[in-house]
Formats: sequence, C-alpha cells, structure tokens
Amino acid sequence: MRPLWPLAVITFKEGIRNRALYGIFLLALLLFVANFLICGMIMQEVGKVAVDVALSAVSFSGLLLVLFVGINLLAKDLDRRTIYMVLARPISRRHYIWGKFLGMAMLIVTATAMLGGCALLSIGSVRWAFPSYFPRFAWSPVLLALMLITLMLVLLAGMSFLFASFATSSFVTLILTVVSYLIGHGVAAIKALVESPAAVGIEVSATTVRVVKAAYYLFPNLSLFDIKVQAAHNLPVSWTYLAGTVAYGLFYTALSVTLAGLVFSRREFP
Amino acid sequence: MRRLLATLVLVAALAAGQVATLWWAAGARQDLPLPEDHSYVLPGPLLRVVAGEFRGLAADFCFLQGLTAYGKLLESAGPSQARDSDWQRVYRLLDAATDLDPYFFDPYYFGNAVLSRNPEMIPRINQLLEKGLEWRDWDWLLPFYLGFNHFYYLQDSGRASEYLMLGAQRPDAMPLLATLAARLAYQENRTENAIVFLRGILSRTEDERTRELYQVRLEALEKIHYLEQAVLVYRQHYGEMPGTLNVLQERGVISAIPEDPYGGTFYLDADGSVKSTSELTYAKGGTSNEIPAN
Repeated sequence: MRPLWPLAVITFKEGIRNRALYGIFLLALLLFVANFLICGMIMQEVGKVAVDVALSAVSFSGLLLVLFVGINLLAKDLDRRTIYMVLARPISRRHYIWGKFLGMAMLIVTATAMLGGCALLSIGSVRWAFPSYFPRFAWSPVLLALMLITLMLVLLAGMSFLFASFATSSFVTLILTVVSYLIGHGVAAIKALVESPAAVGIEVSATTVRVVKAAYYLFPNLSLFDIKVQAAHNLPVSWTYLAGTVAYGLFYTALSVTLAGLVFSRREFP
Repeated sequence: MRRLLATLVLVAALAAGQVATLWWAAGARQDLPLPEDHSYVLPGPLLRVVAGEFRGLAADFCFLQGLTAYGKLLESAGPSQARDSDWQRVYRLLDAATDLDPYFFDPYYFGNAVLSRNPEMIPRINQLLEKGLEWRDWDWLLPFYLGFNHFYYLQDSGRASEYLMLGAQRPDAMPLLATLAARLAYQENRTENAIVFLRGILSRTEDERTRELYQVRLEALEKIHYLEQAVLVYRQHYGEMPGTLNVLQERGVISAIPEDPYGGTFYLDADGSVKSTSELTYAKGGTSNEIPAN
C-alpha cells in the first residue's frame, strides 16, 4: 500500500485540477435547475420525476467524468510519454496501475459525493415547492441509488484501465469504454429480449442467442447497479440484492484492474 | 473605438440574422410532410434497451411527449375531428411511458382523464389501466377508474363491481368503494351511481384542468338525473310515459329542460331513459369549452 498512496494522491490532485471537471459540474448544475422546470409539468408524481432527473444527472455527469477526465489520467502518461519518467522510479508497473486506479476511484467518490449533495438539494427544494406531490418518497433509497451509481462508475473506470493497458491511444480506450458502458447497460435487457423474441415480434437465430449470452458473462452487467426506478417509487430493495451487487462490483473491478496490471507489465514501450 | 463599434454592429447583425433564419427554417419545417401514420412508437422492450440506465427519465420524456401530442390534437382539430392516428399516438406514448416505468402514475391518470373523450379509446384505456393494476398493487385509484369505465362506458356492472371490490381491499381506499361495489351488483340506479362515482373521483383530483373535465361530466349526469326523476314523477301522476321531454315542461313537472354542457340536446329514448344527442362527449355536439389537459 505504501508505494501506491503517493501515486494515488498525485492522480487525485491531477484529476481535481482538470478544467473539464468545471464543465461537468456546470452541466450537472443546469440539470438540477432544469429539475424544477420539468417537475412543474408533471401532474401527480412530482417526487418520482424529481428523483429520476436528479439521479440521472449524477449518473450522466459521473459518466462524463470517467470518460473525459478519468481516461486522460492514465492515457496522458502514455500519449505524452511521461510514463518513462514514472517507470524509471522504483515502482512496479502493477503498483503504478493500482496507484493510478486508487487516485481515480478517490476522484470518482469525491465527485459523486459533491454531485449527490447537489442532487439531494435539488430533490429537497422541489419537495419544498410541491410538498403534497411526494406521496411515496424516502431519502434512504435515493442514498442507496447514489452509492450504487458511484460503484458503477468505479467499475467503469476499472474497465477503462484495462483497455488503456493495451490500447495504443486514448481515443481507442474512450471508444472501448463507451461500448462497454452501452453493452453493460443493455446486455441484460437484450438477453431477456432474445430469450423471448415473441414479445416484440422478432425472430432471433441460435447464434445470436449464443453471442448475447457470451456478452452477458463477458461484459459487466451495469444494469444491476441501476436502482433509480426503485428509489423514485420507494420500492423495497433487499439487502441480499445490495450485498450481491456490491460484491459483484468489487470483484469485477478488482479483476479488471488486476488484468490491466498484468497486461501493462508485459507491454513493450517504443 | 471605431473597430469595437464595427464589431458590435457585426455581432448585432449576426444575432438578428440568427433569429430571422431560425424563424424561417422553423416555419418551413412545419410544412415538411409527415408520414401517413406518424403514431408509431417503438415497442416497450426495445425502448428499455435503448434507454439503458435512463429508463425512468425516458418514461418521463414519453409522458411529456404524450401531453404534447394531446395538446397538438386539440390545437389542430379538436377532439371531435381528430384522426384516429392522433388518438393512437397519445395512447402509444403513454403506453411506452408505462412500459419504461410501469409504476409511474401520471400516464394512467392522464390517459384515463383525456382519452375517454373519444369513446372508441375506452378498451385501450382499460388495457393501460390493467397494466398499472398489476404493478401498482398498493393503489386503489386504478381499480376505481377501471370500475367506472366498465360501469359507465361498457355498461358492465358485474366487472365494475369486481374492480371496486379489488380497490376496496387496497390500503387507504375511499370507504365509498365497498358501498358502490355492492350497489352496482344490483345493476340499478345507473345515473345515480355514476354521479356518486364522479363525486368520488372529483374528491381525489387536484389538478384544476382535469377537475374541469370531470365536473362537466358530473354536471351533465346531474341534469340527466333531474330529468329522469321528473319522468318518474310524471309516470306516477299520469300512469304513462311522457312521450317527449317537452311534455314534462308543458304539464309543469319541470320549469325548463336543462342544457347539455357538452352542447347536445336531451331527449327521451324509446326505452324510457333520458339521453343526449351529444352522447356526453364532444364528438357530436359543439366544442365551445375545450379544456386542454395540461
């Protein structure tokens, strides 16, 4: 842990100083203000819509953070060849990857905590304006949803590290991470779709079913981390489900970063 | 200084140009041909895939699009002349919103309030409400709406009674529900029961514009009930049916025949019941007081 900490702190500080962060926060702020306008158009379940918009804004801003700030934290070292300076130090490549990842995870946790705070403020103020339209509202599921969003973003950052470990440019890493995100959120629904195609009147070949099933186990199932609908309606979320999802997130992230370290330690630099 | 002035003039000219071209292009866009059936909305399972983790937000968006589609329907033709595809579009958007988030109450609430202005949409509304019934298993309002639709539009008091019984068992249900269910089981006092129903709905409806929709219906039913009572008095007094409603006025049973708030005219049907040429929708009568729902 000792050699990782300074690297994690440097990475965290580098991320905080990134100007893109201001843009992302500005966007989130606009979305939280938009919450008021959108909720004004809803007739009954204003609380549900307020939670939907606020949590989606956190998730979307966090996604931008991982894609445009996070990826650069590792890829910039590779693109600008500053990696040589780091590797000349007495630190293994695996430690380098884990140190960078820890810094990135700290950045994500800090950013989502701030965004989450704004989201709670936004929901609170809509509730203050329309108190009788929050029939089934509770804070605890919203906090749980925020926690799972954070974990999902950390997992995605882990995936981006895996891609960066072998990709030749940050753009390739970005594309691969976006694709993983899209597949990760759609794969469970697509699997359900191809397993019962009659629901939408489509025909699916056996090969497609096999490909989708393979993707289901290969790519992270990010939809597990999405309990926004449950939070919006204050529906019960079991502790078993939460524990399983958190464990799955930690396992998948550890797997991604370990693999990233393995690939990175064998990589040859020109 | 002169340079700054020139730049400011240029900026002002470009800004004015921007506004003018926006107005021009947006106007031209309105004339673009639309496909004949523009009511198509992607099926729910596909929308779920496309929406990803923003399913709840996509549901809100579909619902707001449904509101807009209904607004356009009112604006372009009014409920009496609107094409079937316009009604279908509103329904499909609300259906998509509830496919994305089946717990979302507003699409059921709005769909029930406005789509019923087209009697042909009743089976669709009931389909939508049935979906909500399954998911929102704590909500007594959806079985209440279904009960009303079966009783009033489909004239199926048996089913209506079943829905009301179901609603009465749900938490915080209006105490009236069980009584209504029992009354409906006898299949009598149709108008009176409908009035009790509507008063119940009104007591739980806060949105002003939706209240107006229900209030117009309640007013019409109260007038019909008044006329039915007059027919009953006439029969008891003269031992025969009055023939037309004008006879009631001529013989002094009533002072005047009330006006139908939907713009139609009340008449006495061959089976002895009081009806209106408007059929209590805006479909045949005038549309003097169109009420946009939102």
